[in-house]
Amino acid sequence: MKIFQVALGILAAIGGFVDIGDLVFNVAAGATFGYQLLWVVVIGVVGIIVYSEMCGRVAAVSGKAVFDAVRERLGFKVGLVALISAQVVNLMTLTAEIGGVAICLQLLSGLSYRWMILVAGVAFAIVVWVTPFEWVERIFGYGGLCMLVFAVAAVKLHPSWGAVAHGFVPHMDTQSPLLYAYFAIGLLGAAMTPYEVYFYSSGGVEERWGPKDLGLNRVNAQIGYGLGGFLSFSLMIVGGALFLEKGVQPEFLGSIALGVEVPLGQIGLLLALVGILFAVGGASIDTLFSGAYNLAQFLGWEWGRYRHPRGAPRFTVTWLVLLVLALGAVMTGVDPVQLTEYAVIFSAVALPLTYIPIFLVANDRSYMREYTNGRLGNVLGLVYLVVIMVIALTAVPLMILTNVGQN
Amino acid sequence: MNRGALALVLVLALSGCNGGTVDEHALKRDSEKVGSLASEGSLLANDVSKGASTKYFVRVHAKEMSQAASDLQNALAIRPTSPGIKRDVRKLSKLAGKVSEELERLHLHPTDRGVAASLKEPLKADADAADQLGK
Repeated sequence: MKIFQVALGILAAIGGFVDIGDLVFNVAAGATFGYQLLWVVVIGVVGIIVYSEMCGRVAAVSGKAVFDAVRERLGFKVGLVALISAQVVNLMTLTAEIGGVAICLQLLSGLSYRWMILVAGVAFAIVVWVTPFEWVERIFGYGGLCMLVFAVAAVKLHPSWGAVAHGFVPHMDTQSPLLYAYFAIGLLGAAMTPYEVYFYSSGGVEERWGPKDLGLNRVNAQIGYGLGGFLSFSLMIVGGALFLEKGVQPEFLGSIALGVEVPLGQIGLLLALVGILFAVGGASIDTLFSGAYNLAQFLGWEWGRYRHPRGAPRFTVTWLVLLVLALGAVMTGVDPVQLTEYAVIFSAVALPLTYIPIFLVANDRSYMREYTNGRLGNVLGLVYLVVIMVIALTAVPLMILTNVGQN
Repeated sequence: MNRGALALVLVLALSGCNGGTVDEHALKRDSEKVGSLASEGSLLANDVSKGASTKYFVRVHAKEMSQAASDLQNALAIRPTSPGIKRDVRKLSKLAGKVSEELERLHLHPTDRGVAASLKEPLKADADAADQLGK
């Protein structure tokens, strides 16, 4: 039973790791710099593993999710700033993800984009309302496994494996160092997007994790996100092996799917589109819940999908309102791919307000008893706090200086 | 809102827009965009000519790319230019228009292998021409 549970968690994490931000930044980074930025993905994936494990452990031992910790550790005023920034970024991300789902449905069906937005909205509302929490994660996680077709495509494109291996060693061979830095920040921001830890820790509370589940938490975080990182490598290799050589700047979600169609044909294209649909759809639901979790935890409301909607009415109303707001924003015609870039960069700015409280609580013996961070956890946690501060301080200036990665 | 924040908002707003004078740098960037659309169109046309794509994917994706090329054509046709590059900018505008028309044909005939085969090389040539204009 335990192995089965671990396998389910890992499968869901692989399929659920890649969202529209990862798709856009990894393929675009490959198309611009080849494999040079693969090492950044490694740093991002290790970072999300370290902090997901930490916040999962906090959830399992103390029963507290991230925004409980934010409110307690940062106080009301600073906590409110963290909440507002998290909610703004969440809404931007949710809008981009829903737009991405609608584009995928359009590429699969040929029907109007606006109708597909409505279909996506109604489908999300129904799925979230009627499906138990663990199955929401699993359905989208398993569907997202179709994304593994990108790994097959990466191999079929016959990249120079020497150059790929060299990409895991930090180096910079470019005349555009600012653009290189912009992509590095974007890749880190996409890998360590805050909603992932909001959702992960709240999910731990939803599934009533206790200290006995700490092993499960560690394995899920390490193997699940590690293999999710493997998908990110595949995306970047596809970008580098196909688009860089052809001078293609992938500006559309369709371009990303084309990266699979070229080496694998029609079946590859369909698997890629279904994989993107489920991966981005899963991320939409994670983001939607994260917004509702954050507000409910910060204000001390009843929350949780394991309750009946009427058992946590304000939580339910919050996710419904967020869904309507995001659908309204997508309907304005905003480009989901461009919005994704802004969402990832602004989320990078908000990273410290999410990760610092997690680190503090994970070291607090009054909450964590004997389960506080070990030496390795603290060293890695501190190193990543420095990385996060650098990302937060440089993200917006780099976005401006590179004209959102255009120059 | 203080002046710094206002300046930041203005920079952000301007960074995403397609207006202003076309200088050599902008010409290079836009020629890369036109070349990218043409090259991607050529890849798609090649797949359609082999029956390796789907009707709806081609219809929707070719339309998106055609629209993007058309937007570039319109912008480059009217935007003021730096001295000495006006001819190249207008040439790039015409090239963007040609790419847009070719992609539109792909959009209208998403399963026609013959049409796709006839578009493959012209789109590739357009990508090379855009590359030359950017140099």
